[in-house]
Amino acid sequence: MNTIGKLRGAIAIIGIIYILIPLVVVIPASFTSASYPSFPPEGFSFQWYTKILERPEFIEAFFNSLKFAVMAAFFAVLFGTLGALAIAKYEIPGKSAITSFLTAPLSVPQLVLGIALLIYFTPMMLAGTSTGFLIAHIIICIPYVIRLVLTGLSGFDYNLEKAGAILGANPLTVFWRITLPLIRPAIISGGLFAFLTSFDNVTVSLFMISPEMRTLPIEIFSTMQDAYNPIVASVSSVVIFISVALIVILEKIHGVGKVFGGGHH
Amino acid sequence: MEPVRSHADQETSPKITTEPPKKQKKMKKRRSWVPGLLLLVPILLFLFGFFVVPMLYILYLSFISTENLSGADAVYSLQNYITLFTDSYYLNSLWITVKISIYSVIVALLLGYPIALTMAKSSARVRAIITLLIASPLLVSIVVRNFGWYLLLLPNGTINSFLLNIGIINKPLNLLFSELGVVIGLSNAYLPFMVLAIVTSLYNIDPSLEKASAILGASPMRSFFSITLPLSLPGIISGSVLVFSLSMSAYVTPALMGGANVPVMPVVVYDQINNLLHWTFGSALSYVLLATTLLSVFIFTRVFEKSKFKEVFR
Repeated sequence: MNTIGKLRGAIAIIGIIYILIPLVVVIPASFTSASYPSFPPEGFSFQWYTKILERPEFIEAFFNSLKFAVMAAFFAVLFGTLGALAIAKYEIPGKSAITSFLTAPLSVPQLVLGIALLIYFTPMMLAGTSTGFLIAHIIICIPYVIRLVLTGLSGFDYNLEKAGAILGANPLTVFWRITLPLIRPAIISGGLFAFLTSFDNVTVSLFMISPEMRTLPIEIFSTMQDAYNPIVASVSSVVIFISVALIVILEKIHGVGKVFGGGHH
Repeated sequence: MEPVRSHADQETSPKITTEPPKKQKKMKKRRSWVPGLLLLVPILLFLFGFFVVPMLYILYLSFISTENLSGADAVYSLQNYITLFTDSYYLNSLWITVKISIYSVIVALLLGYPIALTMAKSSARVRAIITLLIASPLLVSIVVRNFGWYLLLLPNGTINSFLLNIGIINKPLNLLFSELGVVIGLSNAYLPFMVLAIVTSLYNIDPSLEKASAILGASPMRSFFSITLPLSLPGIISGSVLVFSLSMSAYVTPALMGGANVPVMPVVVYDQINNLLHWTFGSALSYVLLATTLLSVFIFTRVFEKSKFKEVFR
C-alpha cells in the first residue's frame, strides 16, 4: 500500500497542479516589463496595468460586464428564489419534473442556446440589445440559483412559519421576518454565483453582443485571437482578483465545492 | 405545465363552490399548492418564452432548406440533415469532436481518480482545502484559463523554452493550435467536475467493507480492485458523462487552443451562424450537436451500467 499510496498522492498533486497552473502563471506574467507576455516574466513593472487605462474599450467592457452581471444576478435570484420556494414548500404536482425543467438550461450546450436566442431575437429586434443580452444571461444563471436555494431550503423548518402565523403575523410578515432571514445565506450565494456565471460568460455572450456593447471576457477572447499582447495578462489578472474576492465570500457562506457537487446533469 | 395550468383555471372558476361536501376536503388539499403555483408563474413563463420557444423555433428552422425564413416560399425538407451526414467535411468534424472529447475524458479520469481517492482518505480539513483548490478555477472565466495555457504552450512559451534550453528538442513543439492543445484545454477545464463526481461516490462507500476485506487477508490492491473501484463506478460514469458532454459542446477552448487547425463541431456551427449567416443549416447542425451529445451520454451510461452490475455481483 505504501508505494501505491505514494504513487496515488504524487499523481493527485500533479493533478491539482494541472488544474491550477494556467491561472497561477497569469498573474506573474502581467508584471512583465517586456513587450510580449511570458512566464516567468522579464523584469518587473506595472506598465501593463496602467496601459489598461489607455484602452477605453477594456474599461467600457469592464463596466458592461459589471452592469449585466449585477442585473442578471438580480433577476435570476428574484425568479429563482420564488420558484425554489414554491417547489420546496408546496405539494405541487409534477414537482420533480418542474425542478428538472428549471435546471434544463444547464443541459443544453451554451453554444446551442446562444444560437437559438440570436435567431429568435433577430425578428423581435432584440438581437444585439441590452435587453436581449440580459435575458440570455438570466437564463444561464437561473439553474444555479434554483439549485442553491433548494439546497438552502432542504433543512428548513416550516413550523417556524406556522408559529409566526399562529402568533398573528400576516403571510408577508412571515416571509419577511422568518423565511427570508433563514434562507438569506442561500440567496446570497446564489446571487454571487449567478454574478460570476454572467461575468465570466463568453459563449452565450458571443451571440448577444454588438459592436457598441461588448463585455470583458469578449474583449479578452478577441484580443487573444488577434495578437499575443501582455495587456491580456493584466486584464486577466484583474478578472482573477475579482473572482478570488467573490470565491472567498462564497466559501465562507456556502462552500465552493458544494455548488458544483451532487453531479447533476 | 399543461395540467398545472388547468388546475389554476379550476381555482378561479365558480364551479368550485358547487362541489359536493365529500369532495371539499380534497379540494382544500389541492388549493394548498395554488399560492406555490403563483410563485412559479414568473420563472415558468420566462423559461417558456425565452428558452423553450427559441429551442423549438430553431428545430423548426432546421427543416427549411431555403435560406428565406419568412413563410410562403419556404421549402420544408430534410435537406440540411442529409447534407450534414453525406458531406465528409461535417462527418470529419463530428468525428474529431468525439475523438477529442474521449481523450479529454481519459485525461480527466487518469488525473481525477487519484485526486478523488486522496480526498476520500484525507482528514476533513485537507479535503476542504483540496475541494476549494480544485473548484475555484471553475469560477474564473475560461478565456483567462486559456490565456494561461498560451503562456505555457506557445512556441516561445514556458514549456518549449525550457525544453529548448536543456537541449531535449531543437525546435519548438506544436503544443498549441493542435488537437493536443484542445485536449489539454478541455481536460483542464473539466477535470474538477470529474473529481467532484468521483469523490461523491467514494464518500458513500462503507469503510467497514475495506476493513473486512483486509481482515480476510486481501491485499490493498485486491481491496481496491474488488471493492473501491467497482463501488465508485457510478461516480466514474457520471463524471465521464459530464466531461464528455461538456467537451462535445465547448466552443471557446477549441476556438482558442485549436483554432482553424481543429475544426470541431462547435467551431463549425459558430462559423455557419455568425460568419456565413446560414441560419437554417446552422440550426440543423446545432440539433445534431445536441442530439449527438445526448445520445452518447445515453449509450455511455447504458453500457457502463451493465458492466457495473456484472462487476459488483461477480
